[in-house]
Amino acid sequence: MRSLLSLIFEPGFFTSAPVHTAMIVGGGAAVVSGVVGVFTVIRGQSFAGHALADVSSAGGSASFLLGINPLLGFLGMAVIAAGGMELAGARLARERDLVTGIMLGAGLGLAALFLYFDVTTSSTTGAAITVMFGSMFSIPASIIPLALAVGVAALAVSGLLYRPLLLASLSPELAAVQGIHVRMIGLLHLLVLAFAVALAAMTVGAILSSALLIGPAAIAIRLTKRPGLAIAASVLAGLVATWGGIILAYDSFYWTPGHGWPVSFFIVSLIFVLYLAATAVRGHAGTEAAV
Amino acid sequence: MAELIGSLLIALIVTSIGCGHALAAGSINAVGVENEYADVISQIGGRYVQVTAIETDPNTDPHTFEVSPKVASQIAGAGLIVKNGIGYDAWVDKIIAATPAANRKVIDVQNLLRLPNSTPNPHLWYAPNTMPTVAKAVAADFAALDPAHASYFQANAAKFDASLKPWLAAIASFKARYNGTPVAVTEPVADYMIQAVGCNIRTPFSLQAAIMNGTDPAPQDVTTQNDLFAGREVKAFLYNQQVTDTLTNSFLDLAKKNDVPVVGVYETMPTGYHYQSWMAVEVEALRKAVADKVSTEKLSSGEQ
Repeated sequence: MRSLLSLIFEPGFFTSAPVHTAMIVGGGAAVVSGVVGVFTVIRGQSFAGHALADVSSAGGSASFLLGINPLLGFLGMAVIAAGGMELAGARLARERDLVTGIMLGAGLGLAALFLYFDVTTSSTTGAAITVMFGSMFSIPASIIPLALAVGVAALAVSGLLYRPLLLASLSPELAAVQGIHVRMIGLLHLLVLAFAVALAAMTVGAILSSALLIGPAAIAIRLTKRPGLAIAASVLAGLVATWGGIILAYDSFYWTPGHGWPVSFFIVSLIFVLYLAATAVRGHAGTEAAV
Repeated sequence: MAELIGSLLIALIVTSIGCGHALAAGSINAVGVENEYADVISQIGGRYVQVTAIETDPNTDPHTFEVSPKVASQIAGAGLIVKNGIGYDAWVDKIIAATPAANRKVIDVQNLLRLPNSTPNPHLWYAPNTMPTVAKAVAADFAALDPAHASYFQANAAKFDASLKPWLAAIASFKARYNGTPVAVTEPVADYMIQAVGCNIRTPFSLQAAIMNGTDPAPQDVTTQNDLFAGREVKAFLYNQQVTDTLTNSFLDLAKKNDVPVVGVYETMPTGYHYQSWMAVEVEALRKAVADKVSTEKLSSGEQ
């Protein structure tokens, strides 16, 4: 047992400061994304989630320019984008994807401008890679309190929204009949989505954050249709992928040439593998039921 | 930034006033892609050459330089171009290839020193043997472009070599006294000089490369570096002021917390220095750190 553990956890894993920070911030992002992701998938807002993440990259890039906490940058821009999308949502439903796509483009354009300013006016090495693809092992420990606060706030609002949001997501008409303010619920969910996306962007980067948002939720929904169980499974899948990815990235120091592979790659790969496995399990169960 | 542009403008104005007659006919336009090369070119070319430096801002990271149309036209119109090579300024090759010119001379310092493309550390100007070789090549090219003043260029090259002596002497005396001193760095900018003075660089090269390239650092390497400071195992921390991120900042904090003296080093020659004075000041800053435990975090605008 002991030798097996030491095979998985290479020396120094548990005492490494960058690993601690990555485990805490990444774990928080995985839990929040896991919860929020289930509602996002049920509501068919995967694209909106991805767009929020892309637009948030403009905030992340600007944070280097302003010298502020990058999480604040991601968060600010994601919240602004969520507000913009809600305004757009008031129009025809079929226009929603188009407006979301336009906002996504504008957001990435801003990110390109801010990254240009970053490299031409100050020394911001690696800003582009950090903002777009994440750099978990260089997250400063000072970010932990804000990250946890954002995570707890997102989970608290999700808890309050749970029943009305579920009803509004599955049957807006029924929810309206019951006196639920469907539009307000939708806006609050977009805000929570913005929080989740900002946290995920901080860990795996803006481009990859939608993988952490919808991947574990999609895996969970493949396995169960019960919302409570799906949320639990989604959180679990997110944590397995994130912490597993951190362990693999740490260990890859010893079996890759140079100095290991990026942690974002391992996290997203694990999500993909888990999704394939969940699909296979469900396919198998489906065949059995048919027989 | 404004200060920098101002001093550049002044330098340009002074040059054009000082050599008005030479500019009219037969003056050579030369480009040093990095301003330390431009400085050496102008010391060799003197009044018969007009020199432009491209990468001049000591507050930005030259590894992430963005080309503008103005820069492209400056390079296209130059009679002599000196560039570093080893991927540090690969964009220049594209401009040179796109604007063929019959008599243009290009000195690629990597090729001049016969270094392979796989050379891990591109910061060649910190190596003591680099600039004497560059100066010789520049003088030879100027002599070919302007044979009438060949002896003037050769004399300037000799003068340049002589002016490096105080720096080389400082390196030798540091090495005699402090050989094997353990130091930490952020990225490899000054590594050639640190090795020349006999210091032992304890930072893993894989960490230096990750910081230089802005990629994910290995946590093992970060721990190794943190331990160097926490255990006070190094006598100085050479901090590249132009390649910085949250990780390098955390190292800086840790070094200060543990009283490890900090020496600020630069990719781009800071304002107010010549190549010789810049290099001499860096060695002196390292000596002060090791001998007196005194930090020199930033170089103030030096005297010409």
